[in-house]
Amino acid sequence: MKSVDFNSGKIPNWCPGCGNFAIWNAIKGAIAELDINGKDIVNISGIGCSGKMLNYLRTYGFHTLHGRTMPVATGVKLTNHKLTVIVNGGDGDGYGMGMGHFIHAIRRNLNITYLIHNNHVYGLTTGQASPTTDKGLKSKSTPHGVIDEPLNGLFVSLSAGATFIARGYSGDLEHLKSIIKAGIMHNGFSHIEILQPCVTFGKHYGYEYYDERVYRIADDYDPGNFEEALKLIREKDKIALGIIYKVDRPTQEEQLPQIKNKTLIDQGIVKRDISAMLKSFA
Amino acid sequence: MLKIKIGGPAGLGIMSTGLMLSKLFKRLGYTVHGYPEYPSLIRGGYNNYLIIADTNEVYAPYKKYDILVALTDVAITNEKIDEGMILLADIESTKDKTNLKGKVLDLPFKKILSKLEVNEIAKNSIALGALIKLFNLDFDCLDEMLKENYSNEKLYKINHQAAIEGYNTIQERINFSVSKKDTERIVLSGNEAISLGAITAGVNFFATYPMTPASSILHFLAEHEKSFNIITKHTEDEISAINMAIGASYAGARSMVATSGGGFSLMVEGLGLAAIAETPIVIVESQRPGPATGMPTWTEQGDLKFVLNASQDEFVRVVLTPGDVEELFYFTFEAFNLAEKYHIPVFILSDKFLSESHFTTKPFKTDHLQIDRGLIFGGDPEKPMEFFPRYKEVEKGVGMRTIPGTPGGLYKAPGNEHDEYGFVTDNAENRVIQQKRRFKKINYITNDIPHPKLYGKIDAEITVVCWGSVKMQMMEILKITDRINFIHFPAIYPLDWSKVKTMLENRNLIIVENNMTAQLKSVIAENTGLIIEKTILKYDGRPFFADELYEKITGEAL
Repeated sequence: MKSVDFNSGKIPNWCPGCGNFAIWNAIKGAIAELDINGKDIVNISGIGCSGKMLNYLRTYGFHTLHGRTMPVATGVKLTNHKLTVIVNGGDGDGYGMGMGHFIHAIRRNLNITYLIHNNHVYGLTTGQASPTTDKGLKSKSTPHGVIDEPLNGLFVSLSAGATFIARGYSGDLEHLKSIIKAGIMHNGFSHIEILQPCVTFGKHYGYEYYDERVYRIADDYDPGNFEEALKLIREKDKIALGIIYKVDRPTQEEQLPQIKNKTLIDQGIVKRDISAMLKSFA
Repeated sequence: MLKIKIGGPAGLGIMSTGLMLSKLFKRLGYTVHGYPEYPSLIRGGYNNYLIIADTNEVYAPYKKYDILVALTDVAITNEKIDEGMILLADIESTKDKTNLKGKVLDLPFKKILSKLEVNEIAKNSIALGALIKLFNLDFDCLDEMLKENYSNEKLYKINHQAAIEGYNTIQERINFSVSKKDTERIVLSGNEAISLGAITAGVNFFATYPMTPASSILHFLAEHEKSFNIITKHTEDEISAINMAIGASYAGARSMVATSGGGFSLMVEGLGLAAIAETPIVIVESQRPGPATGMPTWTEQGDLKFVLNASQDEFVRVVLTPGDVEELFYFTFEAFNLAEKYHIPVFILSDKFLSESHFTTKPFKTDHLQIDRGLIFGGDPEKPMEFFPRYKEVEKGVGMRTIPGTPGGLYKAPGNEHDEYGFVTDNAENRVIQQKRRFKKINYITNDIPHPKLYGKIDAEITVVCWGSVKMQMMEILKITDRINFIHFPAIYPLDWSKVKTMLENRNLIIVENNMTAQLKSVIAENTGLIIEKTILKYDGRPFFADELYEKITGEAL
């Protein structure tokens, strides 16, 4: 399979220079290299510029409500765990409205890959502060500066028990693609935060901002070490890119006897016989 | 007809005792109805379980009853005891003896408990033993129930002993004829009927967040999830529950959620998503008084208009309002077919009274039931990665559903308005085409859902109009008089309102609803222009009692 095979034929309507183009290419490249057929992939999106991603991919897709990607993805995966489920959502979608669902999705550890596009701003609603916007920054919704502490999404997912935590950067396409590939291959919930400049409303966090701070994690780094992961996640001036944490824990789908031998979908829908059960009510 | 109430503080097992006694009477050939009342707490307060048993059919609770078994003083102070009643109580332990009214039979709980050296929970079995003796019944019929109920040998022995002590205490006898052994009919709650309907229909995904009075559906399905390969999820909240069920349905499962009004408030956003993405879903909403937390363990029919209108903008849904356990069972089965045939949300609207009370019925017959999954695309292996026009009409306003994994069936299920392939579009013409297509389904659904039905003598002096569980009280009233008949709405949307109008016209109508503003009355007025002037409304958290309602109807209209 080639990357171009996954073009849906629709032309993306993101702003010129938007980080989403690189993320789009990285996703297509990753699934092409993994040779997964588009019919076996469900791309699930939240609302926002990130949410438009599924329209440009030749796969099944569900464009859900704002913040609700995780429950929809969970329902899809539990019904047919043979499907590759990839979720795209923004920082507002995942760390704001969807935060409750995000934490519980991590607890479930389903084999789902969640790409959180973090541009520190609400782009599609024209530039309000997001949960990751730094303190003091002025935006349309915070004209006198943000007074809340910014949220560190990776810190949250590490503490919630995520089994795969990584950070990518839309300015480093090949590296991002390799992370997405690793996330899809990871047997469990993958949280991949993608740093992505919003060229229109997120000018404070432009390519220059990231280029000065990002670095690739060294090859000999051990992603199985919780303490080391914590250190990387809490770095202040530098931003580590790569797989920060990865451990193995049984997935939810592996622990459900109902779908041990066959997916729910392969079992089909049949009328069930309750006559034996009715006797207990006599 | 026997009307017996067992009352006492929460935590003594009154609900399971009530059910045991109901089943015991049923096995002796009686028809039983059990109505439980309890506050939202785990210990203390006042719980009671009212049993109506008769050789004829019984459907509903009565305000006046004959026998009260008071497990503690709290029952005596909470109940209105009149001289015609029999009161079984521990005389010595009753603080204010002036409360002891009616024919008092001493049931010395305290003495028996200390004699047997067992704790308070055995009071139930003492009471059961006493009642069995009072009705001049063989102890064995109780012993059989105790054996079934207490699989733990030690617990059984304690309760067996306690029951014998209770049995030996009572000397009085009440005339009671055993009609025939009944091992066939069943006694079950409304929520059990819903759960069984869903299981029969092949439900394989159920997500919810616990909320009285819908929680027992979760408990029932979770208990049986491994036997039937159902995935049941207790999610982080109701928002997650409905979205998860939508995801499951999109992937091809038969999915359901169950909640009460408060939980459904959180689900409303998801309801709209199911509607525009046309993912089939069954939603059980068991009503209780609100708003907000309201009265968690009580009943009301206050959510009709909410369910009819929930979500922004307009779309097609089905609102079924079953009135008894048979309808709960069969409508739940059919709800899955309707959801999948028309790609819409289908509601089962119940209430605490119907969901948690016990009713006697014949075992559900399922031979004639058929699963209809609607139009599902079989796939095109030649072109596996082709997009498919899933939102293009095939028939009756309905498109062809395709399930992820199907070759050549690719599409986008969107919360946005979309074209035939599910791609987002704001195009004006497309919007009108899609809205018209989705609404076209109404014309066909009206033929597939139950129409209002007249019960009783066709030309009775007065016709009560009701929906949902009020059917039960009206069935009871039909036993008392033929001057009243009633029209019951087993579904409220979408209906053929011209037919409804014809049915209602030229009758002396009175509407009976368990809410404050007569919601069905206004729905009828809106759709037919008919204004039903007379109303009987109750909104104190209690269901109508048959005797109370009969008096009100005769006072109001006869």
